Order: sequence, then C-alpha cells, then structure tokens
Amino acid sequence: MLFKLTKKGNPSFSRMDPILGELFLAAALDPWERYPEAGARLLPLPGEDEGLRLDWQDHVQPELRRHFDHERSLVAHDLRFGMIKGRGKTDVYSLEIPIEHVDAWLTTLNALRLALVEGHGFTEADLLRKTLPDLSSERGLALMQMNFYAFIQECLLQAMEGLAEENG
Amino acid sequence: MVKPGILESPETDLSESLSLPWHVVVHNDPVNLMSYVTMVFRRIFGWDTERARKHMLEVHTKGRSVVWSGRREQAEHYVQQLHSFLLLATLEKSS
Repeated sequence: MLFKLTKKGNPSFSRMDPILGELFLAAALDPWERYPEAGARLLPLPGEDEGLRLDWQDHVQPELRRHFDHERSLVAHDLRFGMIKGRGKTDVYSLEIPIEHVDAWLTTLNALRLALVEGHGFTEADLLRKTLPDLSSERGLALMQMNFYAFIQECLLQAMEGLAEENG
Repeated sequence: MVKPGILESPETDLSESLSLPWHVVVHNDPVNLMSYVTMVFRRIFGWDTERARKHMLEVHTKGRSVVWSGRREQAEHYVQQLHSFLLLATLEKSS
C-alpha cells in the first residue's frame, strides 16, 4: 500500500491489497451497534458529581452521539464514492480522502479502535505486542484491524502536520 | 461567635464553593495515539507542540494530567470538547 498527498493536498492510499481494502470498508461500521459494550467508553461521564453526571447524560451525551454519527457518515460517503477497486493481475484498491474530512476519519477510526478494544477485551500488553497476532482467530483479526487503523491515523496526522508546516 | 456585620449562612459557603477553581483532568488510555493526543491538546487549548507534548507525556507516564483550571462552566466546555475527540477527561473540584 502506498500513501501520499495529492496535488490538492488530499491524503491518498493506493495499491492496497484486497484485505486492506476490506478493512478500510469496515471503518464505517457503527461501533454502537457492533460493540454495544463499548458505549460507556465512547461516551464517558465527566466525574463523580451526581448532578453533573445527570446533566451530561441528558444533554451532552446525545449531542456527542450525533457528532460521532455525523463524522461516521462522512467516512461512509468517502468510502462509497472515493474507494476505487482497480483490476490488474490482482485486484487492488485505492482511496482519496478529502482533506476537509480528515478530522471525521480520525474520530471515526478512534471510536472503532476503542470499541474493538472493549469488545474483545484487549489489554495494554496485547496492544503493545510486536509480533503478528493469530490471524486464524476473530480476536487476532480484530487486533490486526486495530493496528491497521492506528497506522492510517498516523498517516493522516502526519499529512495534517505537513500541511500545517507548509501553511506556516 | 458571629462577628458584627458578617452573616454566617449557607449562601456564604456556596459562594466560596463556587469560587474554587475546577480542574480539567485527562486520564491515560492505551488506545489513543500519542501523536493524536498531542494534536487534540494543540487544537483545543491552542498550545504549541512543546507544551502539548509535555502534557501528553504526563498523561502517558503518570496516568493523568491537569490540563486546565478555572471556572466550572468553562471547565465543562473543555471536558465536552475532549470527549468529542474520545479522550478520557473528567472535571475535579480544587481541594
């Protein structure tokens, strides 16, 4: 897989193996639906104060949930209209992400990574392990998915940092 | 003994309580990338990279960092913003 910025400044991923393309397509999954046990981590409470907690549940959490759903809808749009499946000796995918959608991608990938951790009970040791996970198990695949999304986030963060430096 | 001219009442205690600063605390999380947390701090608080990294490393090594202190209303706003980036943040009253 290759990563670069286009002339427009959009992050672009190309020559993706099909499995990576499929992982990209899974980025728009609804983490609340797929991993309901992650709800408390995705929408945490602000502290111990009972009044504040109630206020948060009534007003802030619904607003944040709408925000996350909106960001995820932008990612789904990019995947639907920006993901290209090319044909060569083997199928390869490419994807160009509009620079103005990068925040939505960072948030959506983060939400999904957090949900994967909660859903599969990954520990800090699991996350720091440098060896390849057991890809014959669902848990191992989920760990690879999480690490792949972290790599995509790093690419997007570097792209934003590079653009910020260019713009002074 | 009550001094002349000073009213001892629950209102006085409430007033003192409200004047205490509130802390915005960010807690460690093994999932959020260090570069991502640094970017969020820069974005929300308008810090330079050095200051943002200092607080990010404090979160990473000590488990938490007080990133802002002041009025409760503003502190709540910052916690909401940090939650919108999926960082673990809480509000604590200064003791």
